[in-house]
Amino acid sequence: MLTLSVGLTQYMVLSAILFGIGLFGVLSKKNAIAVLICIELMLNAVNINLLAFNKFVTPTQFIGQIFAIFVITVAAAEVGVGLAIIIAIYRNKLSVNLDEFDWLKW
Amino acid sequence: MNVDLSLLNPEIAISILGLAVLVLGLIIPKESRHGLGWLTALGLLGVLGLTISGWNNQGTLYHGMFIVDQYAIFFKITFLTAAFLVTLGSMRFVDDMGDQSEYYSMMLFATLGMMVLASAGDFITLYLGLELMTIAFIVLVCFKRLDGKSVEAGMKYVLLAGMSSAVLLYGLSLIYGVTGSVTISEVGRAVAVTPVPALILGLVMLVAGLGFKISAVPFHMWAPDIYEGAPTPVTSYLAVGSKAASFAILLRVFVAALPGIWANWTMLVAVLSAITIIVGNLVAIPQTNIKRLLAYSSIAQAGYILVGLVTASEQGIKGVMFYAFLYVFATIGAFTVATYFYNVTGSDEIKDYAGLSQRSPLMAVVMLICMLSMAGIPPLAGFVGKFYLFKTIVDNYLWLAFIGLIMSMVSVYYYLRVALVMYRDEPLDNSPINLSTPVAVTLIIAMVATLFIGIYPGPLSQVINMAAHSFFMH
Amino acid sequence: MVDFAMQHAWLVPLLPALAFVVIVFLTKPWQKLSALVAVAGIVGAFVFAALAAYGVFTHPEFTEGSLVYGVRWLSMPGLHINVGIMLDPTSAMMIFMVSLVSSLIFIYATGYMKGDPGFSVFFSYVSLFAASMLLLVLSSNLLEMFVGWELVGLCSYLLIGFYTHKISAREAAKKAFVTCRIADFGLLLGMLSLQIVFGTLDLPELAQKIAHFHQYTSAGVLTLIAVLVFLGPIGKSGQFPLHVWLPDAMEGPTPVSALIHAATMVVAGVYLVGRMLFLFSEIPSAMELVAITGAFTALFAATIAITQREIKRILAYSTVSQLGYMMLALGVGSLSASMFHMWTHAFFKALMFMGAGSVLTALHHKADVWEMGGLVKKMPITAWTFVVGGLAIAGIPPFAGFWSKDEILATALNSHHYVLFAMGAFTAFLTAFYMWRLIFLAFFGEENPANHPVESPWNMTVPLIILAALATVGGWVGTPWDNVWSQWIFFGEVEHAAPNYGVMIGSVILALAGIYLAYQLYYVDREKVKAKALAERYHGIYTLLFNKYYIDEIYLWFNHAIVDGSAKLFYLFDIYVVDGIIVNGLGAFTRLSGEGLRITETGRLQNYALVFFLGVLIIAVALAFSSPSAAGLLLGGVK
Repeated sequence: MLTLSVGLTQYMVLSAILFGIGLFGVLSKKNAIAVLICIELMLNAVNINLLAFNKFVTPTQFIGQIFAIFVITVAAAEVGVGLAIIIAIYRNKLSVNLDEFDWLKW
Repeated sequence: MNVDLSLLNPEIAISILGLAVLVLGLIIPKESRHGLGWLTALGLLGVLGLTISGWNNQGTLYHGMFIVDQYAIFFKITFLTAAFLVTLGSMRFVDDMGDQSEYYSMMLFATLGMMVLASAGDFITLYLGLELMTIAFIVLVCFKRLDGKSVEAGMKYVLLAGMSSAVLLYGLSLIYGVTGSVTISEVGRAVAVTPVPALILGLVMLVAGLGFKISAVPFHMWAPDIYEGAPTPVTSYLAVGSKAASFAILLRVFVAALPGIWANWTMLVAVLSAITIIVGNLVAIPQTNIKRLLAYSSIAQAGYILVGLVTASEQGIKGVMFYAFLYVFATIGAFTVATYFYNVTGSDEIKDYAGLSQRSPLMAVVMLICMLSMAGIPPLAGFVGKFYLFKTIVDNYLWLAFIGLIMSMVSVYYYLRVALVMYRDEPLDNSPINLSTPVAVTLIIAMVATLFIGIYPGPLSQVINMAAHSFFMH
Repeated sequence: MVDFAMQHAWLVPLLPALAFVVIVFLTKPWQKLSALVAVAGIVGAFVFAALAAYGVFTHPEFTEGSLVYGVRWLSMPGLHINVGIMLDPTSAMMIFMVSLVSSLIFIYATGYMKGDPGFSVFFSYVSLFAASMLLLVLSSNLLEMFVGWELVGLCSYLLIGFYTHKISAREAAKKAFVTCRIADFGLLLGMLSLQIVFGTLDLPELAQKIAHFHQYTSAGVLTLIAVLVFLGPIGKSGQFPLHVWLPDAMEGPTPVSALIHAATMVVAGVYLVGRMLFLFSEIPSAMELVAITGAFTALFAATIAITQREIKRILAYSTVSQLGYMMLALGVGSLSASMFHMWTHAFFKALMFMGAGSVLTALHHKADVWEMGGLVKKMPITAWTFVVGGLAIAGIPPFAGFWSKDEILATALNSHHYVLFAMGAFTAFLTAFYMWRLIFLAFFGEENPANHPVESPWNMTVPLIILAALATVGGWVGTPWDNVWSQWIFFGEVEHAAPNYGVMIGSVILALAGIYLAYQLYYVDREKVKAKALAERYHGIYTLLFNKYYIDEIYLWFNHAIVDGSAKLFYLFDIYVVDGIIVNGLGAFTRLSGEGLRITETGRLQNYALVFFLGVLIIAVALAFSSPSAAGLLLGGVK
């Protein structure tokens, strides 16, 4: 009989994997929107961490949960601004390919 | 719980001001919106007065989430002064750009973010202040939405800043997980007891996130591009305000949370500071665009300020505060000249500054003084600031002082190159540049302050002594 | 009002400094207004100085301690620098004297400089000059004093070279600046040593600490410091062997010469030694050095003055000689006598320089005294005031110079410096002789038909008359019978030397002998046969003296042979090795590394992100390796 016990370690590993996936996406994706989504993945990894720690480390307080709510809210705002900028740059260059944006260099 | 909301007066006032500017922009007709600049400037002056009048009103709010000590107040004064000068010096620029109310309210919200950051006592406040500041700046960076460079800079900034905050947050979550607390002072206590590896990784990520904001090498890559692409007044505020605020919180984290694992950190910071100074100064040499030149020079300046963090003693903190304050005037002076020059000529290239001394002696003089101050030439403010900073490390980190000295000399080279163009070369266009009154006032304030602090640093240094002292009171 | 002046003595240097700023930035195009601003500034300073001095000299407690106030200019652990004002009888006397003489010189200059294209600029410079000197005098801190000291040097450079079209003026300015710089370097080293050893440059604090210097350092080190500090005054006060710049300094406009020689600049050196007497008095050998330098310079310069022909040059050497007297007095331990001589000297030397200026204006800058003669008939005021100056400097009672010179000689004798006393006494004889040689040649005897002198306008003669009056009565505050002076201005114990009638009578006889000899050689003997015969007979000595002992030539030779020779060597080394390899190489290396690093800024967003993460990774790894507690990081948290 296989018993599944999900402890802090499992949550942390999950979060680390998610963060790693997000990071890989940020570094490798060429589409600006995809990069934005990957950043969201990284933020969600953070949220998993926060909630897990809240449950296992400080079960009597809600610090982690409150923090997570703030992170979600701010992330939403950031995505809003990010999408608006991507739309603006699409109008400008008719592309969202990151490799094409190198006017500013050196 | 007894909450003394009077401690929050400056923050409340600036939020009201920001909202008022935003709403007024919707109500009043387009042609009279240029008055909003004056409203913002005067409002900032009022908030500045309010902040200064609360100098002795110290305390903490919400179980240490929000700390109001003279250290924080001093930084708030620095931000507000910077915001006031930038607003005053950029009114014409903003009028040419349009959308004044959005611009000014974003400016005010960024300032609010900095003020929250300077007072942050726990990680949630820290994060909120940081993001408020960053999101407002993202909007400001790509404010010229029809200009490809500006939008490109905005996109780079939003993605890189988002990524860096994700890293910072991950670090914060690890720290929280290990210590069970998000209050900086409690984390400090916990660190001293259990320096487990996850905690150190968390701290490294936190430092990386803040290092991104202060553009310390190797987290600096974004800075030149964004500085070049952003509208010039935004660049100057980004270089001054965002950097000073990040230093304010970095010091808090360093001094409170790190004594437990101190020994390794000092060396790390010393190395980071050295690399930052070297890279910033060296890459500034071949630049041909004035904004890009100033961007690299501001990276180098961040390196100098980092020197104060090496010891993070009361003297080091004092050096950081002193430098952050005088840096406001030197940077805004130089950038205001660049802003106005762009307004008149539409160019940011250094070669177009030829003969500026004949076209507008004041602009040329202010540029020269501000640059020499950044290079640390006595008797200007920058010299005294560098003196305070390097004095703290001369005993234990002589090599760092040596690098700072050599690189200061290197920096004279590229600053004087600009001076040479302004003073020696004949102008292509002989028409004199007439300064508008607010710009002239801004330039004169920047110049006089730079000279005054350099010649007579006594009073400022005493104020900073008090502030640095208050920092260690809790 | 008096209290206000004492509490705000910083206004004294500030007013002329403001005048400088106002003239440079505002009133430069309007000459008369500029002169007015300058005169108003210095007269205002004089009023404040007089009030402050009155306050000091009516409060006997000032003989015990001084009024010191200031602000913290710079502070950090281990280094606190206060800048402030130190008001005591000595500095009160100095600001009074400096501002008074400067005021008169400024007024005189409004006449002398009339019609000069650089009129406004001149007044801005002299205002700054006076301001720096007043700052130097009032400083409570050596560093602050040094700022004034260097500013004085800078102004003298600007003013000596004021007639930029004259090559000799430019050369003289350079000479003055370079000579003083060499000396200042010594002073700077001395100051640094003081800061290192005693941890302060505050004069009162330093005085206390040096009194117990054994707690800080050895006598040998302190001697070295004293000698280094003394180098500064040697240059600034024209002591042998760095006196060479002072006679050339007369290339500037005459009011400047008067300022340099009487009120500002050269007395700065004497004043500094006087202020630092607490340092020198701890070291007997340093005191001897000061005394011997002074006595030697006095005699040495007086012998040169005998043979000189240019009116201002004679006066210049007499200044060098008189400064030697002041140093001698300090060296034998009498601040009182030294300051007293400085006080009287300021009046009669300013008087004589301005008299000389008046003569030069009248004769269209013909400076050779042998070509003058009989000027007394056409320029009575100038001539007779000059005679008063001559009596004063020769030491004829009751004129000012007598009392102060007598005081110095008496002190030297009382402190058993017999050789130095003899040198001083002989110098007194020489002084009387060369000064009256000048007077007889220039003002008496037959008129030179080639000259058409006219008396100078009122704004030049009135200051002469005032100074003549001061040169007469100025010494009465310090007569041996009722010496008010030494009750106020002294170092250590109040010196109560009884009137030494032997010295008095002796010095008067020597002075009269000198005057008589000059009278015989240059007045009675209309054809100057004897004088010429003497010069012929002692041709060797005469040429030696006329050429000022060839000191300038020796320096020149030294410069050419050794400095230039080695410089050439270094030059070649510099061109080929330093410039070619090191400087250009370093420059190229710096530029190239800048270019190289620049390429890393690709403009690609994801490269930036990659660098960011690599940074995080490297730092984490570095920390892991450097700290045992973090080593587990690499093992993924497994300890």
